Amino acid sequence: MQRFMDSLEKLLMPLAEKIGKNKYLIAIRDGFLISSPLLIIGSFFLLVANFPIPGWNDFLAKFFGEGWATKLMQPVRATFDVMTILAVLGIGYSLGRQLDVDAIASSAIALVAFFILTPFITNFTPNDMEVVYEVKSIPLKWVGSNGLFVGMITALTSVLLFAKIVKKGWIIKMPEGVPPTVAKSFAALIPSGIVMVVFFIVKTLFEFTSYGNVHEIIYTYLQAPLTSLGNTLPAMVIAYIFLHLFWFFGINGSSVVGAVYNPILRVLSAENLAAFQAGLPIPNIITGTFQDMFATFGGAGSTLSLIVAMLYICKSKRIKELGKLSLLPGIFGINEPIIFGLPIMLNPIMLIPFMLVPTINIIIAYFAMSLGIVPLTNGVSVPWTTPLVFSGFLVSGIRGAILQIILFIIGVFIYIPFIKIVDRQYLKEEDRLQSEDSGDISFDSLDF
Amino acid sequence: MRKIYLFCDAGMSTSLLVKKMQDVAEKHNLSVKIEAFPFVKAHAIITEERPDCILLGPQVRFLLNEMQEKYKDLGMPIEVINPVDYGVMNGENVLKFAIKLIKENEKNK
Repeated sequence: MQRFMDSLEKLLMPLAEKIGKNKYLIAIRDGFLISSPLLIIGSFFLLVANFPIPGWNDFLAKFFGEGWATKLMQPVRATFDVMTILAVLGIGYSLGRQLDVDAIASSAIALVAFFILTPFITNFTPNDMEVVYEVKSIPLKWVGSNGLFVGMITALTSVLLFAKIVKKGWIIKMPEGVPPTVAKSFAALIPSGIVMVVFFIVKTLFEFTSYGNVHEIIYTYLQAPLTSLGNTLPAMVIAYIFLHLFWFFGINGSSVVGAVYNPILRVLSAENLAAFQAGLPIPNIITGTFQDMFATFGGAGSTLSLIVAMLYICKSKRIKELGKLSLLPGIFGINEPIIFGLPIMLNPIMLIPFMLVPTINIIIAYFAMSLGIVPLTNGVSVPWTTPLVFSGFLVSGIRGAILQIILFIIGVFIYIPFIKIVDRQYLKEEDRLQSEDSGDISFDSLDF
Repeated sequence: MRKIYLFCDAGMSTSLLVKKMQDVAEKHNLSVKIEAFPFVKAHAIITEERPDCILLGPQVRFLLNEMQEKYKDLGMPIEVINPVDYGVMNGENVLKFAIKLIKENEKNK
């Protein structure tokens, strides 16, 4: 067992290091941080317009008149429908900062590169006509969730290229007598100029293909296959097994696995939100919202269930104290105290329920939704720190909240036999006297 | 005023520990500034503010070697917080650990 764990750790540590320190994955993760608060607020407007209570619509119509809900859509459109623009700005900024070049300039060049690749045309067919008009505009089709993969790739490549050229220090030679500041202003043109020319060439090359633009190709061959793969039960379960293995070795698995999986889940959530917004049937079961609201409660391992088991069943002082300490952070999804304090890290007894509970949560929630017992998540962006019941209600209505409570209780019962074993160990240890830590120092003898 | 800075993924759970460490420091009237940050901000903060001691949350311990190497010339100690102290949020032990690191570091200078 020990040898197996050692070799597993040897396999996972370098992987975590590679992903955890990868500049591009960090840029994507941080880039989305800029848009998250905006998407959350945008979501709230959508929620107010479609609150999951019967009669809500008619109730508000009495005060604000018919069509009030449509008016509330503008903040939703201003965030979700342009989420790729926000992502490009954020990712460009974050990568620019990491590569030590002007972050705002990086952000701007990323946006321009993205716009160069985007056809500024929206197809429009008037009612009862067959003619398709090409309207000059920034197409909402590609600046929302459909363009997200092109956006991520463009932001990363354009800023990388920009930074490389800036660092090369290429400048335009000015004749003697030109003031240095003037020469500098020309120098600043070169990196942006090269990036724009390169992306213009890319755009032109793609125009020769039958797809006509980069967006169609990336969407068809990368984004759509990856999202439909991500939208399967096995994908979610396997991703979560890895996520928990990382945590078992004390590494933030949510951040490692999320670096790869979250962009896909984000697209799936956005597709649901778009359908919800349009009043169409919701397409995806597995989404970012599904992950945040149904896979785990209280952080990886669904440890909020464990905390309740600890508080009600356990007798050892160590576990009781830890349970009290972890309850409040746990309600908001923070569980490092449990992982490092119980510990779950490198504790083979706890590994079993730690991986089992989230897997069961995912499977039950998946089937509850696929069988139509619980509504699919509406894609509304609720912070992952939102406590259960509230979060389930906001994304899947009252049935979502009930599903969360059921999963939470099942989790408690799965954890009980395992935490009892650990509790007995600690009780025995507490019976023995602990020897004092010899490396102790006293604060009173310090002189600063 | 000594600066002890903690880094983890999002700076969330470390901020919990920071609170506990501050309580201990206040009780003993120690002149220390303790703060938590997400590690993506590490470079800017470390080079600008030059903290006297840097502690990493155990969940990002794979960053240790690289950071020790990168900031060798700045001369501040960089270590990983003991996972058990981190877990039970033992502010006293972690603060003692940080102070020991600072003292040893100053002795070696």
